[in-house]
Parts: sequence; structure tokens; C-alpha cells
Amino acid sequence: MAFRRTEHHRGRRVLATLLFLLAPAAAAEPDRFSASELERIASHGPWPTAWMRDPGNRVSANPAAVHLGYRLFFEPRLSANGRVACATCHDPARGFQDGRATARGLTDGVRNTPGLFDVRQQRWFGWDGGHDNLWSASLRPILDQGEMGGSAGRTAHVLRGSAALACHYRQAFGKAPTAGDSDLLVNVAKAIASWQETLLSPPAPFDHFRDALERKDVAAAAAYPAAARRGLKIFLGRGQCATCHAGPNFTNGEFGDIGVPFFIKPAGVDPGRQGGIKRLLANPWNLLGAYNDDATGGNTTGTKFVRPEHRNFGEFKVPTLRNLTLTAPYMHNGSLATLRDVVRHYSDLDEDRLHADGERILRPLNLSEAENADLVAFLESLSPATPLPPPVVPAPVPACRAP
Amino acid sequence: MNPVSAQIESRRRRYGNFLRRALFAAALGASTTSANAACPPAAADGTTITRGDVVLAWRVLLPDGALKSGRIPMARHFSLDVQLCDRGGVSGAQLAKADADMPAHKHGMNYRPTIKPLGNGRFRVDGMMFHMAGEWQLAFEVQAGKEITRLTHGVQAD
Ligand code: HEC
Ligand code: HEC
Repeated sequence: MAFRRTEHHRGRRVLATLLFLLAPAAAAEPDRFSASELERIASHGPWPTAWMRDPGNRVSANPAAVHLGYRLFFEPRLSANGRVACATCHDPARGFQDGRATARGLTDGVRNTPGLFDVRQQRWFGWDGGHDNLWSASLRPILDQGEMGGSAGRTAHVLRGSAALACHYRQAFGKAPTAGDSDLLVNVAKAIASWQETLLSPPAPFDHFRDALERKDVAAAAAYPAAARRGLKIFLGRGQCATCHAGPNFTNGEFGDIGVPFFIKPAGVDPGRQGGIKRLLANPWNLLGAYNDDATGGNTTGTKFVRPEHRNFGEFKVPTLRNLTLTAPYMHNGSLATLRDVVRHYSDLDEDRLHADGERILRPLNLSEAENADLVAFLESLSPATPLPPPVVPAPVPACRAP
Repeated sequence: MNPVSAQIESRRRRYGNFLRRALFAAALGASTTSANAACPPAAADGTTITRGDVVLAWRVLLPDGALKSGRIPMARHFSLDVQLCDRGGVSGAQLAKADADMPAHKHGMNYRPTIKPLGNGRFRVDGMMFHMAGEWQLAFEVQAGKEITRLTHGVQAD
């Protein structure tokens, strides 16, 4: 094992030298990756990662539930005014978000709508991590008075009004949808979750580069633009971005404070993670509650051990950096319009905005305009190079097909 | 803490100490009659740190098996298997605290671990997670009677 590792490293070093030799003399220096950089590049893949069903959701990967969830995701009649569906804010054509700074449902919200690609990989859901599982995060908007304002009664009515929906519900859960059933909303949320679990983003140019390095395929690696390569170097090095934006999904799944203001107009503050932990622990649909379908309890570790800290005030979830070209504007409040603005935020960081006892990782990077552009080029290389086709429509199950 | 509850607390602690010493004596007795394999720690018990009389061995337990390198994978929950020994063999002391922080970033973990005594000086720590790459410091407190020994150990997460 140890021998193989060494071999591997030596191979990477040979490759690094090759890349160095092949690069045009002027651009050579910033293109060259050290052995430790190559190791860290490898840690951001492979992509996609292995898919696993959600042990807390008994209809995860159940075809009837996936079809039902798909239909309900686009169903505006679940909302109080009959006009707001999940897809109103999570638009498939925009990486499953809305392009707005803050969401608009029945009323105006205060947070930015996150995209839903690869959402199965999250540990915490919502900018404050107020949910520990995908189905309870999918139940919240149905009941939220500002988003959809729905209810169990309204949801049961929609299900019973359609033979196909009622049939898929029966196939997935083994009983008819009745308003009085306290399981109804949780079941519906689990079905919608099982559909969202199928939303996976394809490999991006960065992934092809990363895989080419792994295969020691110099010709394929050379296709990755020099600007992105230089930006990657800043990302791994001076920027220390990977301290938080780690792993294949470019997030450690936890929370941080990067000095994005958390004031809400006209008055108020968004407490971020501090409020999120309170919401999480008060939520009857968290994984410590009765609706977790994982009998082993193996999925409860995060919730059982989570530790509230003063510093949580104003911390927000470290978002994935995949598919960003589809999901502008950025940050929990949508306050930064472009990736250039985001990079400038880190470059000119206002340290006074970080908590006094905040994380001492971030320092103003003082990047040049050219370096800013390189970092943007790298971030763009984490998004698909060509427009994505619309999501695959899951087929109805045979038992529910109209004769 | 008001004076009355402080008094009760200190009485509770003294009683606890008495019990612990009794258990300690029993453990020592056991280790002299039948040779005890737990102490001194073997290589399989992981990394050994020593301070004064206290010898503490810890190793990382991951849900899906062993560590790939000496480094701890970041942003994943893990547990620790801890063995306490002293000069006499198995220690009767308690592992009172197990925690970790990142000295350079002045913050600790986002999770509060729990400690479960398994007997024979062995403890299981659950709920650990190093959520950022870099230098972490494991911090243990070992309590024998009134005496608390603090042991730390630097580890790398990535
Ligand atoms: C009015 C706009 C709106 C509607 C309608 C809406 N969402 Fe959202 N969604 C948001 C916003 C805003 C957030 C972030 C919430 C937060 O941080 O607390 C979010 C967060 C989420 C998340 C967490 C994602 C993550 O990465 O943390 C999921 C999952 C989700 N929504 C699914 C749904 C589903 C399923 C529906 C329909 C049942 C729905 N949403 C309806 C705006 C909306
Ligand atoms: C201390 C951890 C940390 C470090 C280091 C860090 N980030 Fe972030 N990043 C975050 C957090 C937390 C947010 C969300 C903040 C918010 O919404 O208030 C974020 C947001 C972002 C976003 C917006 C994504 C979106 O969907 O809205 C981008 C892009 C980004 N970071 C890139 C970078 C780059 C590039 C670097 C290095 C220069 C970097 N980050 C370093 C924690 C970090």
C-alpha cells in the first residue's frame, strides 16, 4: 500500500515536470503544480461521486415516489394562491434557482434561493443548516407562510384530484392519501426529496483536467485553459479557498463567516447558523424524531452532537462552487451579482466585518485584476461547458399507467 | 453556583473520588493477578502520549474502516478509541474531557463529543469532526481523584 502511494506520487511529479516542460516558457511558472498541489487537485474528485440512497427516507430511489415527487415539484396547486410551485423558485433552466437576489413566493423572502443540483450530497440544508435531511427541507416551503402557505388538507386534495398522483402515492406508501393522516405531508416531502436526489450535475472542464492528471494524460490535460490553471493555483495556495470549499463538491458542508453583511432591510439581522441550530433542534421532522426511517440511527450523528457556539451568529453554510455560472447572484442574501464581485469581495476583504473572534483564515488577498480574472476563470471551469438538457422526466410506474 | 449546591457538588465529587479510588484499587488488583494486555499500550492502540504518570493511547475509528494515512480526513465524523494506563498498568482514572481545536484559527469543533467508559481503562469518544483542513490539536483531560492531567497532541486533517 505504502509502496503504491509512493509510486503514485512519483508519477505525479513526473507529470508535473512534463507539464512544466510542455508549457510555453513565459507562462510556465504559474502552470506548474507541485506534488502537494497535485494531491490536493485530486481530492476535488472524482466527479460524480458514488450515489447512495438516503437511509432516512424509505422511498429514496423508489420509482413511484420519484415520479410523484417530480410531478409535485412542478405543482402550483400545493400553494395557498395556487400559483407558487417549488419550480417557481427552483427553476430547472437556471440550475434550480430563480436568478433573484432574494426569493419571492407569496411574499418577499430575505434569503437567496440555492440551486438544487447535487443536493443529495449536503449534510445540512438551508443557508443556516436548519434542516438535517432533504425531506424536512422540502416540507418547510410547503408550510412556510411566505413561500407556499400550503397545508396537509390542500395537499391531500391535490393528490386525490388526480388518479395518476393518487396511484403513485399508493404505490409508494401502500395507502391512499388522506388529509387526516399525520404522515401525509412527511410522505409527500419524502417523495419530492427522492426526485431531487436524482439531480446530478455532469462533469465540468475542471473534472476532465483532474481526471487527465490522474491518468497522466498530458494531451488531455493541456485542453484546460491556462487562465483556469493559474486561478486553480491561487485557489489552492494564497487564497486558501479549499480550507472551506473542500472535496469533490467544493464544500466542507459546515458553516463560516466571510464578512458578508447579515443585516436585513429595513431592520433586523439574519442570525445565520445560530438560528439554524435552534430551528433544527425544535423541528419534529429532524433525524432524532419519529420520521427518520433509518432504524440503525446511523444518520443521526450530526444532529446528536452539534454544538452551539457564540461564533455561530452570522455564520452561513459554505456553498458548493459547482454550477455557479447557472446560479447568480451569490451569497446567502444574493448581495453579489457576479463571480467577479465574489472574487473582489475576497480580494479586498473588509476584516472589520469579520467577527472579532472570527476565523483567522481569511485575509484580504489583494489580487491584481489579472489574478482576479484567473480565479474567475477557475470558478467558471466548475460549471458545465455547454447548456444542460432539461432534467430527465421519470417515467410513471407500470401499475399507474392509464389504460 | 450557590453555596449549598456547591457543597453538595463537592461532596458528590469526594464520594465520586472515593468510588473511583476503590475501582482503581480493584483494577490494579486485577492487573497484578492476571496479566493485563491493555497496558502498556501496543502499537495497535494508536498514538501514545505521556504526561507525568498518565499514559494515554488514542486511535481513530471511522465508520467505514481504518485510516488511509496518518492524517484524519476532514469534514467527516469519526470516533476515538482511548486507553488510559499508568505505571501500575491499567489506570483507574477517568477520561473527563476529549475535544479538539485549531490553534491557528482560534476555533474548536462544531460538534461536542461524548465519552463512554468501556471498562479496563478504555473509553470511546463519539461525535468528533475536523471540519477544516489544517493543524488541529486534540485535548484530553484525565481525572484521578482531584488531580486533572491535561494532554494535547497535534494532528493534521485533510
Ligand atoms: C419562494 C421561493 C421558494 C419556493 C416556492 C421553494 N423554495 Fe426551496 N428554497 C428557497 C430558499 C430562499 C431557500 C433557502 C432557505 C434558507 O436558507 O433557509 C430554499 C432552500 C431549499 C432547499 C435546501 C437546499 C440547500 O442546498 O440547502 C431545498 C432542498 C429546497 N429549498 C427544496 C424546495 C422544495 C422541494 C420546494 C417545494 C416544495 C421548494 N424548495 C420551494 C426558496 C424557495
Ligand atoms: C472560512 C471559510 C471560507 C473560505 C476560506 C472561503 N470561503 Fe467562499 N464561502 C464561504 C461561505 C461561508 C460562503 C457563504 C457566505 C454567505 O452567504 O454569507 C462562501 C461563499 C462563496 C461563494 C458564493 C457561492 C454561492 O453560491 O453563493 C463563492 C463563489 C466562493 N465562496 C468562493 C471562494 C473563493 C474563490 C475562496 C478563496 C479566495 C473562498 N471562497 C474562500 C466560506 C469560505
